[in-house]
Amino acid sequence: MESGMNEFKENLIKTLKEIAYPLVAIFISVIAGGILVYAVGKDPIVAYTAMIKGSLGDWNKFGETLVTVTSLILTGLSIAFAFKCNLFNIGVEGQFIMGAIAAVWAGWAFTGLPAVVHLTLTLLSGAFAGGLWASIIGLLKAKVGSHEVINGIMMNYIAMYTSNYLVRTLLNVPGKAYSVDIADTAKLWRFSQAFEQFKHSRLHIGIILSLIAALAAYYILNKTVRGYEIRAVGINPHAAEYGGISVRKNIILSMIVSGLFAGLAGGIMTTGVQYRVNNLFGFTGYGLDGIAVSLVGNNHPIGVILSAFLFGVLQKGGPLMQIQGIPKEVVGIIQGIIILFVAANFVKVVTENIKLNRELKKQTVKEEVE
Amino acid sequence: MFKKGLVLVLALAMIMAMFTGCAKPAQAPVEEAPETPAEESKPELSFGMITDIGGLGDKSFNDSAWEGLQKAGKELGVEPVILQSTKQEDYEANIGNMAQSVDLSIAVGYLMEQAMKAGAEQYPDMKFGIIDTVVNAPNVMSVTFKEHEGSFLVGVIAGLTTKSNVVAFVGGMEGPLIEKFEVGFRAGVASVNPNAKVLVNYTGAFDNPDKGKEIAISQFKQKADVIYHASGACGIGVIQAADENDFWAIGVDQDQSSVSKNNKVLCSMIKRVDVGTYTIVKSYADNDFGGGKAIELGLKEEGVGYGDGGNNVPAEIRAVADKAKELVVNGTIIVPQTREELEAFKPVEIK
Amino acid sequence: MEGVGMFTILGIIVTASIRSATPLIFASLGGNFSERSGVFNIGLEGIMTVGAFSAVFFSFKTGSPWAGLLGAMIVGGLFGLLLAFMSIYIKANQVIVGTAINILAASLTTFLLVEIWGRPGQTDNVEYFKAVGPFNIFTYLAFVMVFISYYVLYKTPFGLRVRAVGEHPRAADTLGVNVYAIRYICVIISGILAGIGGASLSIGSMSLFKEGMVAGRGFIALAALIFGKWNPIGAALACLFFGFAVALETVGNNLPVPNEFLNALPYIMTMFAVSGFVGRAVGPAAGGIPYEKGEK
Repeated sequence: MESGMNEFKENLIKTLKEIAYPLVAIFISVIAGGILVYAVGKDPIVAYTAMIKGSLGDWNKFGETLVTVTSLILTGLSIAFAFKCNLFNIGVEGQFIMGAIAAVWAGWAFTGLPAVVHLTLTLLSGAFAGGLWASIIGLLKAKVGSHEVINGIMMNYIAMYTSNYLVRTLLNVPGKAYSVDIADTAKLWRFSQAFEQFKHSRLHIGIILSLIAALAAYYILNKTVRGYEIRAVGINPHAAEYGGISVRKNIILSMIVSGLFAGLAGGIMTTGVQYRVNNLFGFTGYGLDGIAVSLVGNNHPIGVILSAFLFGVLQKGGPLMQIQGIPKEVVGIIQGIIILFVAANFVKVVTENIKLNRELKKQTVKEEVE
Repeated sequence: MFKKGLVLVLALAMIMAMFTGCAKPAQAPVEEAPETPAEESKPELSFGMITDIGGLGDKSFNDSAWEGLQKAGKELGVEPVILQSTKQEDYEANIGNMAQSVDLSIAVGYLMEQAMKAGAEQYPDMKFGIIDTVVNAPNVMSVTFKEHEGSFLVGVIAGLTTKSNVVAFVGGMEGPLIEKFEVGFRAGVASVNPNAKVLVNYTGAFDNPDKGKEIAISQFKQKADVIYHASGACGIGVIQAADENDFWAIGVDQDQSSVSKNNKVLCSMIKRVDVGTYTIVKSYADNDFGGGKAIELGLKEEGVGYGDGGNNVPAEIRAVADKAKELVVNGTIIVPQTREELEAFKPVEIK
Repeated sequence: MEGVGMFTILGIIVTASIRSATPLIFASLGGNFSERSGVFNIGLEGIMTVGAFSAVFFSFKTGSPWAGLLGAMIVGGLFGLLLAFMSIYIKANQVIVGTAINILAASLTTFLLVEIWGRPGQTDNVEYFKAVGPFNIFTYLAFVMVFISYYVLYKTPFGLRVRAVGEHPRAADTLGVNVYAIRYICVIISGILAGIGGASLSIGSMSLFKEGMVAGRGFIALAALIFGKWNPIGAALACLFFGFAVALETVGNNLPVPNEFLNALPYIMTMFAVSGFVGRAVGPAAGGIPYEKGEK
């Protein structure tokens, strides 16, 4: 009993410490951002008030923030999962795009199905398209050995042009630069249908799906043999191979799972938020956001949820800041600084170095006395 | 001990910085106190504009829209608000954000059509405007342009200017809007110079000047001597290539003659987005808001046309262009908007 | 394309390939130095962006493109130093730092653009390096740099140390090589080269800075680096190959294929080439791993 308590206490302190470092880092970044805002002659307090008001000010704003958080969680998970196998899936952007366009196709092409069936089918199509797109990268890596970063970047561009081509031809609304709409049976349930508070927001059930996905990722990675194998390959492929684990198989598999998450993110964007796909002028940015989310969340599913929330607040706070006359770039700069500080464990390293120096000094003093 | 002290000092300095940071602007309203009465007499009107992800600084479409808003703002003594979108799925949220802050929100860009539909429904008491597409809602005023008519005129000018009988078009991302530019231009060329060939390239981007430049050089090497672009910032590269080579560039949206250092912009197809935004604000300020109305500005309404800031179009060609304009305005020439219509288009002799 | 001779088309393709490859060559050479010493530089895109911006800024302030070039090198080098400091001293995850640099660079340049020129989007026209023949000075410089880089990395004691540090830092350390110093130098060189790459866009090809003008070239340079198997000459050839695909796109007008296919062609070709001909890409063994002196 006693030892159990102690263990609990120790764990708690350890966790608190883990959380404290990033919090301090975020605090420093926020101050740095404030100084920047002040430097351009604006009031930092006004800026941050606008950011919080714009992202958490009322139920609707909160709902809109969660809409962004949903995509960030899933793309963050996608990156994190691949990272566990030591793969850098920079191709999340393309997998997201393919997921979104595939969901449009499934949501539009099938009609007359019961809502549950149609919705499931549509989401699965999105996830499957993402998984397929990623599997090409995984296969090429495992079979030919070509680097996932190159193929990922190339396939992002190919996905963007493929999507634009489909929007212009197969899924076209004549004379318009966007695709056909999905059927009502393929749309995710929105909170505004039941709660007056969320009337002006597009918050949908996808947020729950993304949380379930995070739990699933956690479970697969930590509680299954497959997850153990994936992590083993990630830590040391040679040792894993020696231990009888197939490196190739796990590379392909983790890329596919990673792609499924990214594709699901795209599918949810279609079924929950957009209901169609626009002609893309450039990348949606979710791929790069996902990298930041995953890294700040320390590639851990729970960490991904927290950091997705942080980035959601930053991004959704931006518009109101702009309306208050704060340059839109300030948000980007604060994001960059946060990533630099948090993910780089800057605070931890500096405090530890200070501690180390102090101890060294103590030791030398002691030695001198002796 | 010293280290600890240092950390403390640093922390203090930071907090100080934060407080001074807040303190100073907080004093600002006190200094501006005499101006507050002016604020009271301000008309109870506010308006703002939401851009698509392209944003301000494109020296064409968005900048032009913003000019119209600023002009209206100056006349009415109101500071217009701007909100630049960073993601496509934010359009709807941004329209909502704007509607909560100002009375009249204008969305600039055809991609915001569906978002505007949703926004207008959600905020039935607020007023909206949209440029480049039509939204049927009682509280939305839509303004579109006949880009094909303006492009037709510069096509006529290009067809008469070319010596090599090869002209070219550089588009951005392919889509129905840019297609109007391409098709109108080709129809204009065909009307005055049936033997001329038109090279068509799409950059696949709106933000890659270097690619625009490479494509323009390639077209020039394939003998094109007049190149029209409708490719956003890629066009900066097209004009840069004209500066360095022996061909004319034709600008788009605004008079782009100032972009060229060596006066190599033959003329520009001008789309008066500023007139569009100005008209919406003005009609609202005059209590004459055309909710549910869709205005289409063409050559007749002076909503499109061509500008020649560099004085490069000779008088005889200008005369033909004026004649062509007349024929379009009086309906003799119906300028095609799509490739199918272009196939069916029978050039009318312009005399 | 009737009326235009075969030779003309060929000429267009060759010159356009080389011009399009120029900024990529600088950046991938930069990546080469950094990664050879064991530090991933995914921030090439961001460093190119700040390089392009600084080049225009200094040319604008002084009226001399040479000052612009120098400015791009210095600022690029400073960002290299930031990456070096974070990944060597702080021992941060190098991918994270690179990502942060990319985000920071994009926001910082657009922010400063508004502060300095008073409007968003793009800067004024500034003095730039005009083309001499079909190319500007950057293209010639790029090819010179390829051979210098090759020579430095493979024929000098310094190059040997760099490669040793990237493969077996512990062994190198035991032999008295200062691992940290080598890495600092290489990452700073990497920043300087990427900065020049950015400058070649803003004051070579163009004469202004436009936000987003780097348009993914940093990542493509990264691909070229791997495609070229972490060898300067290989990387340069990979850049030329990519430039070739872009050139094909520019002459592909009026062909009966969708424009989107033409736009995607450079990326498709690169994938085929990488997977079909290059095969297994294995980077420096110690790449991405921070070096700890006392580590066992």
